[in-house]
Amino acid sequence: MNLKLLAHLIRLRYRLIWAKSRSRSGRIALFMAGYLLLLVALALVAAGGLGLGAMAVTAGKATATATAVLCGLFLCATVGTLILGFGLNATFADGEMRRYPLRAREREVARHLVAMLDPYWYLVVGIEFGLLIGLYLFGAAFLLTGAIALGLLYVCNYVTARLAGMVVERMVARRGGATVLMAAIMALGVAPPFLVPYLQTHAHGASAAVAWLQWTPPYGAALAMTQEGWPALWGLALIAGWTLGLGAAMVELERHPARARAASSGKLDWGSGYERAGAFLGPQNSILIGHWLRFFWRNNRFRMMYPLSLPLVGLFIYGLTRQPGVSPGPHGDLASAIGAFGIVGFIGTGQFAVNQFGYLGNGMRRYLLLPGDPAAAMRSCSYTFALLNAVTIMVGLAIWPVVVRGRFDPRTLPLLAGCSLTGMFLYLAAGLWTSLLAARRGNYYSSFGNDLSFAGNAVLIGAMMSLVFGPRIAAAYWPGAFRSEYWWVALAAAAAAAGVYWVSLDLASVCFRRRRERLVAIMEGRA
Amino acid sequence: MDSAIVIRHLAKEYGAVVAVEDLSLTVPKGAMFGFLGPNGSGKSTTIGCLTGLLDPSGGEMEILGERFTAESVGLKRRMGVMPESLGLFEPLYAHEFLAFVGRMFGLDETTTRARVTELLAALELTDSSKTLAEYSTGMRKRVAFAAAVIHAPEVLFLDEPFESIDPAGVALMKQWLRRFTEQGRTVFITSHVLETVERLCGAVAIITSPGKLVWQGDITVLAADGAIEYDGQQFRALEPLFLRLTGEHYADLKWL
Repeated sequence: MNLKLLAHLIRLRYRLIWAKSRSRSGRIALFMAGYLLLLVALALVAAGGLGLGAMAVTAGKATATATAVLCGLFLCATVGTLILGFGLNATFADGEMRRYPLRAREREVARHLVAMLDPYWYLVVGIEFGLLIGLYLFGAAFLLTGAIALGLLYVCNYVTARLAGMVVERMVARRGGATVLMAAIMALGVAPPFLVPYLQTHAHGASAAVAWLQWTPPYGAALAMTQEGWPALWGLALIAGWTLGLGAAMVELERHPARARAASSGKLDWGSGYERAGAFLGPQNSILIGHWLRFFWRNNRFRMMYPLSLPLVGLFIYGLTRQPGVSPGPHGDLASAIGAFGIVGFIGTGQFAVNQFGYLGNGMRRYLLLPGDPAAAMRSCSYTFALLNAVTIMVGLAIWPVVVRGRFDPRTLPLLAGCSLTGMFLYLAAGLWTSLLAARRGNYYSSFGNDLSFAGNAVLIGAMMSLVFGPRIAAAYWPGAFRSEYWWVALAAAAAAAGVYWVSLDLASVCFRRRRERLVAIMEGRA
Repeated sequence: MDSAIVIRHLAKEYGAVVAVEDLSLTVPKGAMFGFLGPNGSGKSTTIGCLTGLLDPSGGEMEILGERFTAESVGLKRRMGVMPESLGLFEPLYAHEFLAFVGRMFGLDETTTRARVTELLAALELTDSSKTLAEYSTGMRKRVAFAAAVIHAPEVLFLDEPFESIDPAGVALMKQWLRRFTEQGRTVFITSHVLETVERLCGAVAIITSPGKLVWQGDITVLAADGAIEYDGQQFRALEPLFLRLTGEHYADLKWL
């Protein structure tokens, strides 16, 4: 094993992370990540680990508490790697490493080692060790076996995440697989509110779930942390068994990579349906909008997010109007519905609208060679999102009369349509600026991960959060303001938001022309 | 003879870095013009300014007798460009990409489809099961070349067009380019393959960093076994002249 070269590759991986911090946005991201990491670590070690230790000792259920916490962390870390894209980045592709004097086994080890040493995993391991120290300080854990168990659990968690990632990639490569997968993830996310009350009322279900947990790696780690002798050894063996089994599955899948889907049978498919859809916003836009629709429709992430935004719309409207504290009746529901419909206005295209050019790569240059205003590419992309969002809004409005509690008031339809349009126009306006001023080169072919800049994330998450909580907070202070009699206010707000959007389009077009060289450089990976 | 391209005192700066400095150049109509220089000398920057990708910091450009800026939409319709980075939309199929470019350059749907089909067949890009991302570098270069010529432009800018293309592809492209210039159209070409430039181009300009013109002249004499005279020396091939003008030399590494 060429350990010297392996160490050199790992060092290089950290140098690359450090190199990213040279840009202004990189420094901000590094600062935020560092700050967040410190806060989380402090909070967990101080309150979490110690607190849990105290709770576990007081309740006399150290193993059960540790199992629950480690299971949660294991699951969160695995889902987090898939959704945020952290912790699985091998940085150097196998093809790249073939240039160096490394054997196949060494390349494999290097790839996994580099990915495992991602700072994301330090956060997970840090929290787990916080728990161990907490339990140890209260005399409920054994430091040495606990540390060994957590080390093994860390490897097992990585292997599980990697295997899940590979399964996901294979599913996404199949026709319709992306949608099925996202539906499964959503079902996982939606399940707890339904499962918890069920388990509370059905004792046999709860005990079956606990019995099932006793065969998982986190249980093994909890056992090794809190028990001595044979139980501790059994715990370690359990994690090692899982790691070996999952590792073997991972190696097997790596040896048989997924085949690329052949999309055509020799006959040219001109697919002019995209252009026809684009012509909804005028013939002058049809080619560019048709092009954007085709471009995004080939993107796995888009194919997952947009179709699922339609059922998500129903879920949002239903869920937000039935949250604890929302009183039934037109006024109580209305404040939450206003927030939900604001989100409906951009949810389907949200993560693309704040980084319009992120997936173009070298193609960005092409727009500037076309005989027309270069900013037309930016405007047409924004129109494309507006077109797609209009469909989501219509679905939302169709769902509303069905899910509303109490008597349906027809005046709520223009009111909520106005809210959605306001949300859409303001979000698209903000998206133009983040796309220009905080653009980031993304990976078109990655099914998961977060390719947005700090500003892009702030707009996306900030818009969602403020629409979830904002109207409800406002309704608490001004309950009389949220009435269907004021439906026209929402339409006036939509008209004002449309005005903001049009002004933003004009100003952003000027900015686009000025920043086009910089944008091309970012998309081509030169800046 | 009419000029297809006139560059006067072109300058391009990136902050304190000067990429092109006071470049003046004239390319006659119907010429196959080679634009040469070492790496980082400002060739691609010059093409970027000439095609509207970059805003020059100073000077002016005229193409086909009209002043050219990034906003010259009418002129852009008469130009074809093959950038060095190719500018392809990788998730698209070749025919979709070419159809998009054709339509954006004002061709109607029927003409676009007919030309795309002909171009794909001529350039042997008939594997319609692969997206551009799945094509080899040479195939992607052919697609970029097809995108540059699909609207039959009057001036063609090609940035390193022959790199990575197999000999049959290069021969086909050369044949097309010769016919192109015979019809009075102009080709402005950058390449590091000096032998190809020598055989293909009638005139060349050589620049050095930062975008300074050091020589411009007719090289047809080389094809007739003649010689170019410069600074009292006779040059029978482009390579020694290029090395002499750019100050490039062969470094001798004793360990190699």
